[in-house]
Amino acid sequence: MSTNLETTNLKTDEMIINMGPQHPATHGVLRLILKLDGEIVRHVEPVIGHLHRAQEWQGQNRTLFQYQALIDRVDYLSGMFTSLAFAHACEQIDGCQIPPRAQYLRALVCEMNRISSHLLWLGTFLIDLGALFGFPFYPFREREKLLDLFEEIAGQRMMFNYIRIGGVQRDPKPSWFEKVRKFTAEFPDRIDEYEAIVTQNPIVLKRTKGVGILDKSVAMDYGVTGPSIRGSGINYDLRKTRPYGIYPELNFEIPLGQNQGDTWDRYMCRILEMRQSNNLINQCLDKMPEGEISGKKQIAGLRIKAGEGFSAIESPRGVLGCYVISNGSDKAYRIRWRNPSFCNLAVLPSLLIGRPISDIMAIFGSIDVILPDVDR
Amino acid sequence: MSNLLTRAKDSIYQVLRGLKTVAVHSLRIPTTKEYPDTMPPLPPHFRGRLALNVNPETNEHLCISCRQCERVCPDKCIEITAHKSPETNKLELIDFKIDHGLCMFCGLCTEVCPTDCIINTNDFEMADYSREALVYDIRKLTLTQGESSHYFAAKEIALPKPKPAKPVASAPIAPSIAKPVETKTEAKPVETKTEAKPAETKTETKPAETKTEAKPAETDTDTKSTDNESK
Repeated sequence: MSTNLETTNLKTDEMIINMGPQHPATHGVLRLILKLDGEIVRHVEPVIGHLHRAQEWQGQNRTLFQYQALIDRVDYLSGMFTSLAFAHACEQIDGCQIPPRAQYLRALVCEMNRISSHLLWLGTFLIDLGALFGFPFYPFREREKLLDLFEEIAGQRMMFNYIRIGGVQRDPKPSWFEKVRKFTAEFPDRIDEYEAIVTQNPIVLKRTKGVGILDKSVAMDYGVTGPSIRGSGINYDLRKTRPYGIYPELNFEIPLGQNQGDTWDRYMCRILEMRQSNNLINQCLDKMPEGEISGKKQIAGLRIKAGEGFSAIESPRGVLGCYVISNGSDKAYRIRWRNPSFCNLAVLPSLLIGRPISDIMAIFGSIDVILPDVDR
Repeated sequence: MSNLLTRAKDSIYQVLRGLKTVAVHSLRIPTTKEYPDTMPPLPPHFRGRLALNVNPETNEHLCISCRQCERVCPDKCIEITAHKSPETNKLELIDFKIDHGLCMFCGLCTEVCPTDCIINTNDFEMADYSREALVYDIRKLTLTQGESSHYFAAKEIALPKPKPAKPVASAPIAPSIAKPVETKTEAKPVETKTEAKPAETKTETKPAETKTEAKPAETDTDTKSTDNESK
């Protein structure tokens, strides 16, 4: 489509257009300054920072126990992962032992959160493409079920505050595990349903195949991680390449993009990842050991030893890193987040240049950027 | 040409496949809940409005004014007024204010409470017409005996141990009304007593009432806290 436009000899003036920050399709408050030649994007400048909440500074001014309640806001769609990254960093400093049951519960809730995050992505991505399938309909039905399960175990639907330094907060009842089993039993059928509607749909294929090709070398240069880089065919998943928690004991595969790394590949990668996560949840449920759920007493004056720790985990959007310096008091001396969305957003201009304006949302949606995660 | 035909055939098949899924769906039972008509089933550990428990058996107020919740609160939305009773030399609760407009419902206060007094209830409908009305005082926060026993059972909290002996008569639900009367007996606290009554029933959203009752309650507690400080 773009080639047709470029071959015409119509000369037009370049036009600067602001997309956002109040644009409904920018998933929050991202502002893109577009320089357009007709319909073709010539230059893109993302403007970020509208959602900056000083998460790092707030963490340095609250006790560790208080900050744990706030971490879920760093990336509100995958609160379990942000909690886990912080907990890992603190445990690395403190050297406390995490009981096996807590480890399995962590992996279980993280994989559930990965599915719920991908489901929201699926809904919004298809809304970006112009399909009515997405936002309030099919994926949200399953997402609601997951959020209800989270609500039962953690107390809230999205601000979990469940994974703590040393373990987890609450031991779920056997009935909760039964509900999770019920969910995992029917979820593959639901993915089949999404795929029946979307995957081979000719309109979706036209909008996604060959659009926004992310080259391997470009992806590596920009530090893109998560399903976006796996869509380009690079096997980089911290659960396999640098395993943490109990992932070495679990059996799973890393889905990779089959073609050249276009929007459709990234879509397919996430769909397959949801199936893998479903599989992982089942394995966690089968292997769930009995015992303690926390290796550290959860008290208001929670302290860790002095030292530095860095943890990196595989969140639904990519590598989520957390760096903590502790001086032995109940507050952290320094907290630093390495957010996957921030690094993934950097690659956006190189994907958009030369594409028509209608592809912007397809490409932007496919790299799954969450703006609170970018600005934090 | 034949390529185009097979592609067209395939496309039509795929579209029909999607449409069939959608059509089958329209026959299913709807999954949406019509919220104001049907309340969602909330789990017992749901973090809703904060409230104070009383002992389900003896109706004693469980708060011992240790101020742990006040200290741990990340938003500093809890304000406890307490004084040392000259007779028993123990801390006595005068007022307990929670600004629900500031609260982020993290539930940390409920975790640190040593007597399981402060809890998250399943109530989440707290919309009101003024910011002042979101500041709940002890009368609005304290649950009835029946509600307390319900939450004790639902959250599987162990019942509080009975006290070994009773040196003084057991404290009534709201010591705020009973105690400070002796220091300065003015007409104000008596007024609020009668006015605050309807607020005890949990979620009656009557805009006109709450507005009028919020103001005297605040001025009243203000004077009390200043009294306490002057002591």
